[in-house]
Amino acid sequence: MSFLIRQTLIYAVPLMIVALAGIFAERSGIINLALEGIMIFGAFIGVAFVRILQGVMVPSPADPENMIGLFDLAYQSKNWLSLQGYMLLTMLISAALGSIFSLLLAFAAINLRADQTIGGTALNMLAPALVLFFVRLIAKQNTLQLLSGDSAKWFMIKKTTLGFDKKADIGFLGETFLNKVYLSTYICILIFVILSIILYRTRFGLRLRACGENPQAAASLGIDVVKMRYAGVMISGALSGMGGFVYALTTANCSANGDVAGFGFLALAVMIFGNWKPLNVAGGALLFGLFKCIAAAYSTLDINGDGIYALANIGVSAHLYRLLPYLITLIVLALTSKNSRAPKAEGIPYDKGSR
Amino acid sequence: MKKILSLALVLCMVFALSVTAFAADVDDIPDTMTAEDGIYEVAFVTDVGQLKDKSFNQGTYDGVKLYADTNGLSYKYYQPANGDQATDDDRYDAMKAAADNGAKVIVCAGFMQGNALAKAAAEFTDVKFVFVDGWAFDGLDNIAGIAFKEEQCGFLAGYATVKEGYTKLGFCGGGGGTNPACCRYGYGFVQGAAAAAEELGITVDMNYSWLYGASFSASPELQTLVNGWYEAGTEAVFACGGSMFASVAAAASANDGAVIGVDVDQSFESDTVITSAMKGLSDSVVWALTKVFDGTWEEIGGVATSLGAAENAVGLPVDTWSLEGWTVEEYEQMLADIIAGDIVIDDNYENLAGSASLNLNIVE
Repeated sequence: MSFLIRQTLIYAVPLMIVALAGIFAERSGIINLALEGIMIFGAFIGVAFVRILQGVMVPSPADPENMIGLFDLAYQSKNWLSLQGYMLLTMLISAALGSIFSLLLAFAAINLRADQTIGGTALNMLAPALVLFFVRLIAKQNTLQLLSGDSAKWFMIKKTTLGFDKKADIGFLGETFLNKVYLSTYICILIFVILSIILYRTRFGLRLRACGENPQAAASLGIDVVKMRYAGVMISGALSGMGGFVYALTTANCSANGDVAGFGFLALAVMIFGNWKPLNVAGGALLFGLFKCIAAAYSTLDINGDGIYALANIGVSAHLYRLLPYLITLIVLALTSKNSRAPKAEGIPYDKGSR
Repeated sequence: MKKILSLALVLCMVFALSVTAFAADVDDIPDTMTAEDGIYEVAFVTDVGQLKDKSFNQGTYDGVKLYADTNGLSYKYYQPANGDQATDDDRYDAMKAAADNGAKVIVCAGFMQGNALAKAAAEFTDVKFVFVDGWAFDGLDNIAGIAFKEEQCGFLAGYATVKEGYTKLGFCGGGGGTNPACCRYGYGFVQGAAAAAEELGITVDMNYSWLYGASFSASPELQTLVNGWYEAGTEAVFACGGSMFASVAAAASANDGAVIGVDVDQSFESDTVITSAMKGLSDSVVWALTKVFDGTWEEIGGVATSLGAAENAVGLPVDTWSLEGWTVEEYEQMLADIIAGDIVIDDNYENLAGSASLNLNIVE
C-alpha cells in the first residue's frame, strides 16, 4: 500500500504542477499549449545543470592534494543537506530557464497578437529539436545522463538518510511519506498550495483571473493587462520547467532525451478535466497517477498487506490494467464536461479597443 | 559562512566549468573520426537503441574502433533512421550509405538487420558484412554470421546469483521476447538459478518479464514495474536489454537491491551491479575484422559461427569480481566443466519452464 501511494505521488506530482502551470496561463487569458515543450526544455536544463554540478571538483577534506567531485564529497560525508540543496538549486534553475523559454510564447501571443495555439505548437516542436541538438552536442548520443550514479543515490530520501536503521519500523505513515521519497514531491505540493491560494485569495490572483475573463473591463479599472498576461505565462513557464525536471528526476533516472512521455499534454487534459480549478486538478492528477501506477505494477501490488497480489490473481487481462488510465479519463470527462467552463477570454489576443 | 562561501564558489565554477564538464568522454578513441578523403573503410550499423547504450551497441562498436584505430583504418558508425521504429529499408539505407562511403567491411549489430543485410549483401558483393548476433545466408559468402552462446553466461550469472544468497530473482528482457539472444540469456539464467537452488536444497522464485522492453530503452513504466518487484521482495534483477539497465538500476538503487548486468561488464555503471553476463562483443568483432583484412575471410564468410565458453567468448567479469558466496576458482571450474561438456545447458528457449527448485512467474 505504501508503495502504491508513493508511486502514485511520483506520477501525479509532475502532472499536478504542470497542470497548475496551464491554469495560470489560461486564467490570464493565454492558452499555453507549450507545456510539453517547456517541460522537455526544463528537464534538459535540470539534467545539464546537475551534470555541471557533478563535474565541479573540490579539494578532499581528508587529503587536500586530491580533488573530489562535489557530489561524491557530500555523499561520502553523508552531507544529505547539501545534496538536497543542489537539487533545490537545480529546480530553481529549471524554473528560471523555463520561464525565460516561455517568454517566446508570451511575446508572440501578447505583443504580436499571434494565434496562441500555433505559438504553443511552435514551442512544442522547437523544444525537442533544440534539446536533442544540445544533448547530441554534449553527450554525443540521444540521452543526457548523469555523469555518475543515479537519481536515487544522490537525491532520494530513505530511512537511512534520516538516521533510522535499515530494518527499523517507522510505521505506515513513515514508510509511505519518509522512506524512498524525493523532497521535490513535497516542495511541489507546497508550491501548488501556495500558488492556488495566491490565485484565489490575493489581489494579484483576482486581477490575473479578471484578465482571463474580461480584459477590457479589467483594463478600465486600471489593471495592466499586458503585464498580467506576461506574469501568467511566466509563472506557467517556471512551473512547467520545474515540473519537467521533477519528472526527469523521479521517473526517468535524471536523464533528458527530448521527451517527457506526453506528460505535458496529459497535464493539459488534467487541467481541463479539473475544470481550471486547482483542487479538482489535484484530484484528477492523483486519479490518473494511481491508474498509471496500477497499470505498470499491478503484478506486485499488495493493497491490503496480506502478501497476496490481488490484482494479478483475479484473472483480468493485463491489457485491461494498461487501458485503465485512459478509460477512466474518458469516463470522467464524459461525466464532468457538461460543467466544464473555460476562462472566457482565453485564446483571444488582447485588443484595447474592442468591447 | 562556509556554506555560503562554497555555494558562491560553486556558482562561479559552474560557469567556468560549463564548457569542460560537457566534454567528459571516457573513451580515448573518439566515436566519430573525419577521414580526409571521405572514405570510411570500417563501418558499423547500430541495432535499435542508442550507440552509447553501455551495452550491446557500444560493446560492438568498441571492437570496431579498437581494430580500426590500431590498424590505422578510417571508421564510421551509422544509425538507421527512425530510431526504435526503424524498418528494413532504414537499415538498408544505412548499409548503402556505408558502402557508398567506401566501406570495405560493414559490421551490423542485432538480429533484426537480417532482411536488410541479405538485400545489401547481394547488391554490394565486394563489401564484407559481419553480422553480430546473426546467422549465415545461403549463397552470400560475404556475410559472416556471428552468434553467441548466451545461455552459457546467463547460466553462470543465474548460478552465481543464487550462490550469493539471493533467492528472489527477476528477469527483465529486451525485444519483447522475440530477440533470440535475450531469450537465450533468460533461459540460461533460469537454468543456472535452478541448478544452484537444487544444489543448495532451496527454492528460488523468479519474476520473468518482457514488458516495456520492446525498444530496449529506459522508461518510467519499466522503472515502476521493477520498483514494484523490489518492493515485493525481489532481491536481484537481471537487466537484459541495453538501455533498460538505467530503469532497473534506478529501481534497484532506490530499494537497495541488486542488478545483474548484460553483454559487457556493467559494474562501472552502478553500485548495484553484482555481476554481469558478458559476451565478448568487442573481442569477436576484432577477431572477425582481422580475418577480413588478413585474407582469411573464407574461414568465416558464408558460415554461421557460434562462440561460447570454449572460444572464451562468454563469461562473468573476473577483474571486478565482488561475489562472496562463490569464488573465482569455483567459477573457473564451472566454466571448464561447461567447456568439457560436463554441464550441458539447453539453448532451446522454447523449453522455458520452472522446476521443483524454481518457481517461474511469467509477468505479462
